[in-house]
Amino acid sequence: MSTTRLLLTGATTPIGVALVRALLDDPTIDHVLAVGREPAASLGLPLGERLSYERVDLRRSRARRRLLFGPARERGVTTILHTALHRRAQDSGRRIHDLNVEATRELLHLAERHPTIDRFIFRSSAAVYRIVADKPSVIDEEHPLNLGPRAPQWIRDRVEADLTVCTQMGLSRLKILVLRCAECLAPDAGSQLYDYLQAPVCLRPLGFDPMLNLLSMGDAIRSLRLALACECEGIFNIPGADTLPLSRLIALAGRRQVPLPEPLLGPLYRLRTATLGSDFRYDLNSWRFHFSGVLDGRRAAAGLDYRPATRLDWPLSGASG
Amino acid sequence: MVASTRPSLAARIAARARAALPLDWREQVESLRYADAGHGFDSLGLHPDTVAFGAQALRFLYERYFRVRSSGAENIPGEGPAILASNHSGALPFDGAMIYLDVLRKSRPARVVRPVLDLFVPGLPFVSTFFARLGAIGGSRGTVRYALEQGELLLIFPEGTEGIGKNFSQRYQLQRWRVGHVELAIRYGAPVVPVAVIGAEEQWPQIARLDSVHVLGIPYLPLLLTPLPLPVRYHILYGEPVDFRGRLTPQDADDPEKVAAAAAQVKAAVAELIAKGLAEREGIFR
Repeated sequence: MSTTRLLLTGATTPIGVALVRALLDDPTIDHVLAVGREPAASLGLPLGERLSYERVDLRRSRARRRLLFGPARERGVTTILHTALHRRAQDSGRRIHDLNVEATRELLHLAERHPTIDRFIFRSSAAVYRIVADKPSVIDEEHPLNLGPRAPQWIRDRVEADLTVCTQMGLSRLKILVLRCAECLAPDAGSQLYDYLQAPVCLRPLGFDPMLNLLSMGDAIRSLRLALACECEGIFNIPGADTLPLSRLIALAGRRQVPLPEPLLGPLYRLRTATLGSDFRYDLNSWRFHFSGVLDGRRAAAGLDYRPATRLDWPLSGASG
Repeated sequence: MVASTRPSLAARIAARARAALPLDWREQVESLRYADAGHGFDSLGLHPDTVAFGAQALRFLYERYFRVRSSGAENIPGEGPAILASNHSGALPFDGAMIYLDVLRKSRPARVVRPVLDLFVPGLPFVSTFFARLGAIGGSRGTVRYALEQGELLLIFPEGTEGIGKNFSQRYQLQRWRVGHVELAIRYGAPVVPVAVIGAEEQWPQIARLDSVHVLGIPYLPLLLTPLPLPVRYHILYGEPVDFRGRLTPQDADDPEKVAAAAAQVKAAVAELIAKGLAEREGIFR
């Protein structure tokens, strides 16, 4: 049985921690080198022979090099699973870009000349896709990406990081896998919808009720494990088991919904952010609040043997209200 | 968060509409098969309760106003991908609605036909959502391809807006016949059922159209002779399916000449059905 020695970025995020727990139960995983910006205690797991932790600020180029040619080489890491993207949508600027894009680019380039690494798996997101009226509502991997010049940095960075990895596919000696995951509706997972549903009243565009697809934590972890177990490379959509209209989502979350004319929504949500400090940004979500965007997971079913299986727990756990 | 257990207003209305349907309609609606994507909707937005509501809401038009008669419904395949290709007219797509209801009523086993909408329709408020819940899909190539791969029955008007926007003087003259439906049929092995709608071409006489006026993305503004559509009688004729599978391979969908010839065959079949329907009817309102 071949074993994997894994470097996992974003290890202290909820998905990262859950993944580490799952990997420690997997006999094919020889060692997990978990990487995060927080102290090791935030991982909440005992370090030992199969789990080590490095506190690294991936925004710094020197730190990235030290990580790969220091601890990663010492532990004979064979696979990088890169999940670290900045989660707060309200933040922007060069330092955010450094984490989202430059870290991805450099980790990939460093891995190419690394003596032991031969695989690079990038956890991208469905936010990279362009959702408009005249494009398919069921989104396959060839769907146009959101390259609009007016797209917010949160989206631009994700598209750039995704493309940075995709352009190396077939050119690099590494086996490269990109997973474009549906939104994982969980706290602290960078979910815009989760923040949206924190308000007791959810505003949505009058006259539109698009279909959404959501990923549970269980399926998110399972898709990453299947990617680790797979020798293939390519781009794969990772849909979730919950496909439902926005209105139904709001109802299931136990929130009151108020449809309003589109021009009012942006200012009202900006006001809410200014007064209550929400991370939800309407400008990031306005298109998908109008037009359906459901991931087509058939390639992942064929290539990774991944099929969504676990529905979200309704009502959502960990939510206030 | 506490999940709402009380059905929404829309759900309650849909449930009442379903209960109010006559038994034969209700049996058809309740026997519909659809790929539930998890919450009672399919991936493209179809919702059976809204289908029931739509049937109840539009049944008056179907049974009383346009008094639809149809023949050849046995030509609609009972399962698997298939395409209904019809002439198109009438200023507003009542012809699509009547075909939709007729297929719902008469297909055995019951099927929902998925009308393929022009690209501007998903951008229309209310209309886009209601149509999606009824099963209509946006006309982008990817969505149509997905629907066929899922074995859906599609309704395509190859004339597009040129058909629905034609003037009264052009009634029953097929306009430029696009070839996309035939490309899809060849590539995905879907039979094409030619359909003729008689009556819709006279329902709302259009005397001119303003091509420079675009409201909500609609490509033109029609100038109509009457404030409401006329209560013409609809006759819907379904022809024998045209199946390309024996003659053409999926690769032939990339051959423009073969595609054009296949589209011409479908167009001729529709034209023949129109001629038959016009010859058989006793009058516009009868």
